[in-house]
Amino acid sequence: MKFDYKLEKLLKRVEKPGRYIGGEINSALKDPAKVDVNIAFAFPDLYEIGMSYLGMQILYNVLNKKDNIYCQRVFAPAPDMEELMRQEGVPLFTLETKTPINEMDFVGFTLQYEMSYTTVLNMMDLGNIPLCSRDRGEDLPIIAAGGPCAYNPEPLADFIDIFVIGDGENALPDLLDKYAQCKKAGMSKIEFLKEACRMEGIYVPSFYEPEYNPDGTIKKICKLYDEAPASVLRAILPDTESADFPVNPLIPIIEAVHDRAVVETFRGCTRGCRFCQAGIIYRPVRERSKDTVIKLAKAQLANTGHDELSLLSLSTSDYSCFEELAGELIDYTKKENVSLSLPSLRIDKFAFDVLNKIQEYKKSGLTYAPEAGTQRLRDVINKGVTDDDIFNSIEQALILGWKHIKLYFMIGLPTETYDDLDGIADIAKRIIDLNYKINGPKGGRFNVTVSVSNFVPKADTPFQWAAQNTAAEFEEKHNYLARKLRIKGVTFNYHDNTTSAYEAVFARGDRRTGKLLLEAHKAGARLDGWTEYFRPDAWERAFEASGISRDFYTTRERTFDEVLPWDIIDCGVSKKYLINEAKKALDEKTTRDCRLGCTGCGINRYVKCSMDGALRGEAHTDNE
Amino acid sequence: MSNRYAIKFSKDGYIKYTSHLDLLRMFKRAFKKTGLMLKYSQGYNPHPKMGFAQPLSLGYSGKSELIEFETVMPHTTGEIMEKMRKEMPEGIELISCFELPENIKSLAADADAAEYKIWIPTSLSEDVLKKEMDRYLNMTEIVALKRQKKTKKMEPVNIRPMIRSLEINKVGDFAMIKALLDCGSRSNCSPELVISSFCSHCGIETPRYDMEVERTNIFFVNKLQY
Ligand code: SF4
Repeated sequence: MKFDYKLEKLLKRVEKPGRYIGGEINSALKDPAKVDVNIAFAFPDLYEIGMSYLGMQILYNVLNKKDNIYCQRVFAPAPDMEELMRQEGVPLFTLETKTPINEMDFVGFTLQYEMSYTTVLNMMDLGNIPLCSRDRGEDLPIIAAGGPCAYNPEPLADFIDIFVIGDGENALPDLLDKYAQCKKAGMSKIEFLKEACRMEGIYVPSFYEPEYNPDGTIKKICKLYDEAPASVLRAILPDTESADFPVNPLIPIIEAVHDRAVVETFRGCTRGCRFCQAGIIYRPVRERSKDTVIKLAKAQLANTGHDELSLLSLSTSDYSCFEELAGELIDYTKKENVSLSLPSLRIDKFAFDVLNKIQEYKKSGLTYAPEAGTQRLRDVINKGVTDDDIFNSIEQALILGWKHIKLYFMIGLPTETYDDLDGIADIAKRIIDLNYKINGPKGGRFNVTVSVSNFVPKADTPFQWAAQNTAAEFEEKHNYLARKLRIKGVTFNYHDNTTSAYEAVFARGDRRTGKLLLEAHKAGARLDGWTEYFRPDAWERAFEASGISRDFYTTRERTFDEVLPWDIIDCGVSKKYLINEAKKALDEKTTRDCRLGCTGCGINRYVKCSMDGALRGEAHTDNE
Repeated sequence: MSNRYAIKFSKDGYIKYTSHLDLLRMFKRAFKKTGLMLKYSQGYNPHPKMGFAQPLSLGYSGKSELIEFETVMPHTTGEIMEKMRKEMPEGIELISCFELPENIKSLAADADAAEYKIWIPTSLSEDVLKKEMDRYLNMTEIVALKRQKKTKKMEPVNIRPMIRSLEINKVGDFAMIKALLDCGSRSNCSPELVISSFCSHCGIETPRYDMEVERTNIFFVNKLQY
């Protein structure tokens, strides 16, 4: 690794130079000249955020185990560094070998949230890579993207050469192997893309072109290359048990958001909350066996010296032998002086037994996410939680001495009325009363935090046709709740309205919204997820310059027969199922957790689903 | 047996852009991984008994840095060196490990002075530099702005009494200052104060980011050296 004098001068002038130096323990050191494919794995956010993301660790491990591939990392620079890089002409570089990213074969962006899209463009720009695919010649890298937001790839269709949709563990190395073959055969970029587009989970946007109706909706999606598939089925890893999982993860060199050992217990979710994209796009549930989880956890702890272990999944307690797993991990981590963290735990009797054994929990407070304030609306969104569930759990928590309860809700959900908002305030109020009842009128130091986020309809969910609230509606609801929640001991938090509208534009945006991104980038938008860097003025100008109508994408309700921009992508769950769920929502009818019996989502058309009726026959109380 | 040890190490290359807290976390993890169990403090928020003799500022390289720690079990210094060496990131070189003398409280409490090499690119000749340095050192008061620990405000202080010696030479295009300054809890003078006051004294306008600072040694009370 050469010590770059020019870079060094920059490092002396920025706030956190450790973000740009690499050299982490377990980072991969290879000679870029000696591999077939060089790829920069790009996370469009700051180092501290990207390094806490498990998906990067998984893919970094899978790719670097292959001798013919060298995967390096690149993150977005903070604005102070960006300014100096532009001033001094230092292009965006990889952390491992400080190579400018435009010298890579591939740059692969992970798309975790819509508000990172301008950062994707800004990173390409900082790497001297022309933003639009059509402007990039043979000598420039292929720009790839994947991650949950790639399920609606269209807003980025003009900028990305190739999308990898679905589980990346096999799809990405296979794609890079294919690239190596094509490169050896002396094929051009376009020839490679033609080969690649027939592979599992691969979408090449330049092979398609939407045609629009006069009202602005999509008429049809036309193919520009005959051999391109009519629909792209996402890559599905048949099981996670045999999938490679990192036991020597990279260790952040400066403090990251999370700095701990992490084991993914399972992928997918059977609960079927109707607003939740993750609950659909990661189906079916694929578990790692208990022994494998424990083996991986022990190996990671031993190899890293981490003093914290966390389990990762969409719903920790849904793991089929969770009680045994938790029991064994609690014993092990106690013995090893490691703290254990069990996120998104379903709060039932067992959870309290577990939490009581893990000291740290009481300090941070009990988290509960009813998502909606009334039973009616919870039925609409298929959140299987009853008032009894909520108050029984909270009562238990109060008796056990919890002093801080954190509640999470969403507002602007389909069919929501002010009665549902009253329901939110009622829940908070009842918890305060419960505390008086249990802990006496003094009640001690006790606090309820109510956090409210704005509903953003997402692709591939039963609510993908729904209207989002207008900014004015959200504001009115926030004000209403703020008044209603003026209760002693209750703190009220809510999210910014502007960003949730932008999020909504891109969550369901078509190809034309790419113009908006381009204009926002030109106006200086990047790192939009950070309140301190977010620039509403840049976005206002971008809307004006691009002529994009916000309302067309956000507050407009779609009909079931409208061609949706992401129809080209098959997430594995059938559209019929989503439509049926959307109708049931309006009828306030719930759909059972499919571990009680298959509800026909359709994923088993493509892959064996072992969840059908996994819990049938067991006494099940529908507890959340 | 008190099981108190110290490791001498150097810090250089890109890793000098990590803070002393980052480095402390790195050492803590390395100990955990090697199985060399550190003793923990008692009390509400127990933490491992481990710390630097003096934290090194972000951006400085260090030739002779010291970290002291206490283990649960006795170990040979050879074992500690061998195990810890494997866990170090690029840029951290372990030089030696030794047992701390029974009669000292801690290296941190005993730190007294530190020696630095400061490299400043300048067109001034060695003659001029040496003359300026004499004038600088002959002042009875050298005022520099120093952040006060308690109030966090910048206050003017006279750093002359905290400067033990300064020596300047021209090496290539650089003015190289060898500085011996007070260092530790009793009296502490950051090289930054010397750099800013000396540069303004002789009109050097080189931006700070073109300079390099290296800590070459730390000295302790009672003339102890490790
Ligand atoms: S196929 Fe049936 S059991 Fe499997 S995830 Fe879909 S609904 Fe659930």
